[in-house]
Amino acid sequence: MATTDEKPVPAPESRFTVSPLTLAADRWMGRLIRIGGVGVVVAVLGMLGFLIFQVFPLFVGAKVSPTSSLAVPAEAVAFGEDEYGEFPFVVRRDGSILFQRAKDGTKLLEWTPALGERRVTAIRSYPRTGLVFLGLSDGAVQEVRVVYRSTFDDAGKRTVEPVVTPLEPVAIGRAGLPCVDVWDAKGPQSRLLLVRQEEGGKPLLTAVRLTERKGLGGKGKVTVSAPFVVAADAASVDQVLLPSTAESLLVIGRSGEVRAYADDGTAFTFLQSFTPFKGAADPAVAAAGLIFGNVSVVLVDRAGAQQVWSMYPQLQPDGKSLRRWGKIHEGEPLAGAGQGIYAAVGNKCYLAAAAGRLQLINMTTGTVRWEGPAPAAPLRQVAFAGGYDRITALTADGQLHRWAIVDHHPESSWRTFFGKIWYEGASAPAYAWQSSAGSDEFEPKYSLVPLFYGTVKGTFYALLFALPIALTAAVYVSQFLRPEYRQVVKPVMEVMASLPSVVLGFLAGLWLAPLVDPRLVSLFCAIGILAPAALSAGFLWSVLPQPVRRQVKPGMEFLWLLPFLALCAWAAWQAGPAIESCFFTVKDTATGLPIADFREWWRQTTGATYDSRNSLVVGFVMGFAVIPIVFTIAEDALSNVPDSLVSGSLALGASRWQTVWSVVVPTAVSGIVSAVMIGFGRAIGETMIVVMATGNTAVMDFNPFSGMRTLSANIAVELPEAAAGHTHYRALFLGACCLFLLTFVLNTVAEILRQRLRERYKVV
Amino acid sequence: MPSLMTPPSTSRIQVRPAAEREGRKDYISIRDYGFWYGQKKALEAISLDIPERQVVAFIGPSGCGKSTLLRNLNRMNDLVDGIRHEGDITINGRSIYDPGLEVISLRRRVGMVFQKSNPFPKSIFENVVYALRVVGVRDRALLEEACETSLRKAALWDEVKDRLDDSALGLSGGQMQRLCIARAIANRPEILLMDEPCSALDPIATGKIEELIHELKEQFTIVIVTHSMQQAARVSDRTAFFYLGKQIEYDTTEKIFMNPSQAQTEAYISGRFG
Repeated sequence: MATTDEKPVPAPESRFTVSPLTLAADRWMGRLIRIGGVGVVVAVLGMLGFLIFQVFPLFVGAKVSPTSSLAVPAEAVAFGEDEYGEFPFVVRRDGSILFQRAKDGTKLLEWTPALGERRVTAIRSYPRTGLVFLGLSDGAVQEVRVVYRSTFDDAGKRTVEPVVTPLEPVAIGRAGLPCVDVWDAKGPQSRLLLVRQEEGGKPLLTAVRLTERKGLGGKGKVTVSAPFVVAADAASVDQVLLPSTAESLLVIGRSGEVRAYADDGTAFTFLQSFTPFKGAADPAVAAAGLIFGNVSVVLVDRAGAQQVWSMYPQLQPDGKSLRRWGKIHEGEPLAGAGQGIYAAVGNKCYLAAAAGRLQLINMTTGTVRWEGPAPAAPLRQVAFAGGYDRITALTADGQLHRWAIVDHHPESSWRTFFGKIWYEGASAPAYAWQSSAGSDEFEPKYSLVPLFYGTVKGTFYALLFALPIALTAAVYVSQFLRPEYRQVVKPVMEVMASLPSVVLGFLAGLWLAPLVDPRLVSLFCAIGILAPAALSAGFLWSVLPQPVRRQVKPGMEFLWLLPFLALCAWAAWQAGPAIESCFFTVKDTATGLPIADFREWWRQTTGATYDSRNSLVVGFVMGFAVIPIVFTIAEDALSNVPDSLVSGSLALGASRWQTVWSVVVPTAVSGIVSAVMIGFGRAIGETMIVVMATGNTAVMDFNPFSGMRTLSANIAVELPEAAAGHTHYRALFLGACCLFLLTFVLNTVAEILRQRLRERYKVV
Repeated sequence: MPSLMTPPSTSRIQVRPAAEREGRKDYISIRDYGFWYGQKKALEAISLDIPERQVVAFIGPSGCGKSTLLRNLNRMNDLVDGIRHEGDITINGRSIYDPGLEVISLRRRVGMVFQKSNPFPKSIFENVVYALRVVGVRDRALLEEACETSLRKAALWDEVKDRLDDSALGLSGGQMQRLCIARAIANRPEILLMDEPCSALDPIATGKIEELIHELKEQFTIVIVTHSMQQAARVSDRTAFFYLGKQIEYDTTEKIFMNPSQAQTEAYISGRFG
């Protein structure tokens, strides 16, 4: 070696010193990496935190706080108010109406009816519509309309001026008898005015219909029908419940018998009668109230027991299904005899007054959202404001009490999301997801259970298809295929993994589903034949003489297997229609002729539905999304089994298959488990394929020929149309939270399992 | 360069006299055997006979083809791509390349112990009875008996008899290698191939395995590849020296170490190259 060109060695001191740059780089890179690691944890926790933050308000009860109390004349028996509650009015016993400013109680306006000889004997006020009905001493009824007219002056200051418009009294009841009570309701065609009178101690209910025909211009003309008696067969009348739609009528007798009548267009016909508290010591109904939507009624007895009855389709003895009243809930008993049931507007909550307590209760879930003391004096009238933000109550001591409600999610509770709930109008308790409908009275149903079910169902069918294929493919490619082909197959599978799932969903929904639909039997045959065909191909191969087999290099046998399988599948596909006509011929319900149709056969034989976009299509295509991931990870795990173990097994005289099954697979099992779990996670979270290839119906059956709605698809479909902050919006976030926790738990379990298996099968 | 003609210095090496036993003298017969990995010729014109129930050591510097030859005796090289051979190897008169002979059956007859111990990630018991399991033995009593016999033969029984169901991966390096030997002899093969079985072991473990080879010789024909001259001298009856894929010399161990006929052999065993 030449020594002359050699550079002089550095001085000993500098040789051993570490440059500050090296140390600084080391330190800074260490910090940077730590920031990255902590950042990941923070991001995940932040996500969970955000979800919980969005979901949390769902589980907060209502806040109801008394705001003000206004002194009104003590003889006030009814009240009404404007939208903002600024200018309430009370109706005195004599029918005069007094407007006061809520802020300071100053008198704004006083109106007195001009009735001449007649007196006011009954008063009913509907605060939401501003209608006041005065029942008169001769059986007639005068309607008084209250309108608040707002004007703005130049400075933009709003002045509200109440306007009272009395209409001509309408004769309804038996002439000469005073009205005891009066009700009004607006049906689809006409309005109904109902009065109650007492005739010789017997109650008498009389009604008229008011039909308004709109003229071409100007005011409509109101036609008043001839008065007709309703519920004449009721032995006694304690309370009358007239739904705001006027389509039916509930008359509660003193004995606790509830008689239901229905408007058939001309008269109210008797529908059914029931005694809710039949077995109780005192079967009388102490308080009752119709709930918003008019198909449910809450009944409370004198002991405080609560029942909810609703109208739903019931099978009659003659086999017909008719809408009848039936009990759907028994609520938590109140503290004492029910004093009043007051329904909220816009949701299914009601205020129950009993034994000096007020409870705000959700009818559907039975949850008590708020409880507080009632005013000392008896309640005369209680009304919720239209926006469900205020309760106003008039008490017998001349006070108008008000409470402010803060209850953003009155329909939510744990039972709403996870429990089986008997919704009003439904024939049985159910887990249901139905977030919106056409009518305002519709009650949204937010059960996450069908979505969980759909998620599990979709995942099950996807994995049923994907796991056998992916895992056997991984074993084949890693253990049997020649390396040069393996180098091609693996990247191709990885490219498959990067296929956007929206493309797969598109293919599934628009191409595969219609293709598979008429040839279902063919498809089953073609898939079913593959395994036996592969086995028989192996058998045929093994009986071939050695010289022929030696022509094919080991690992190249697939060259002969593939055409064989393709041929078998093609033959099975072609044989499909013949098999269908052999086994699946049924009578066509429309024509009565026999037809070979698996779909019809399935419907008729199992009674289950058949949808074109069904779980099989989803499972098939979602399987395609899952296969590459499972395959890649499992193949890696299998390939990483040391050759020394394979050699050791082969040298002991084990066949390749024995080696794979008893040495390679157990050694790689931790990797295979994580492959399966990651595939599982992918299938659970998969969204676009499910959105596009299923009907997105939140059904609860495991029928392979029906669709599903998964948690993730549900979020994708509904989040864009959910109002931010609304229960629907938060329910979707709750779904996301559940999905997060589900995958989190699954991944954790998978990781623990993997670690244990790795410990057990670790290789030296 | 030192002269190849100088007499071998054997003072360092203790040679065991060749114990001639009854049995076929050409139990394994290798005739004009050549072997290629792709284009690379790994073995050339090998011809040697291995007598029954003797220990034959293959020695030579790294890359001389001794391991390749060993691995061809049970056709483990079949797993490698692009291999080719010429000539023939017969065991008890039958060619190992006989189309009618399944390679699996050959390997059941010719057991192998590898350089690096490779116990399966299973229990000790399952490791030992693996060869019986793949043959299809289900009888628990039979398996237990075979396990005990093999472990006793491998001088491991006393150390592991109380923890047969523990993982084999918890054993020490020497124990693992003896477990691999026990595993290889559990199904009573006729020939045992050992590919540098002690190269990763400490002297005590090596001693135990060498003792073992002596005892196993009573029942098995053993071919051992080793880098250790002393080991070859201690355990083998006959020794073959390979160099660059060629068989330089094959004779009784005594002869090879005391009085080799080839200068290369002499140079190698006296430590002057390799």
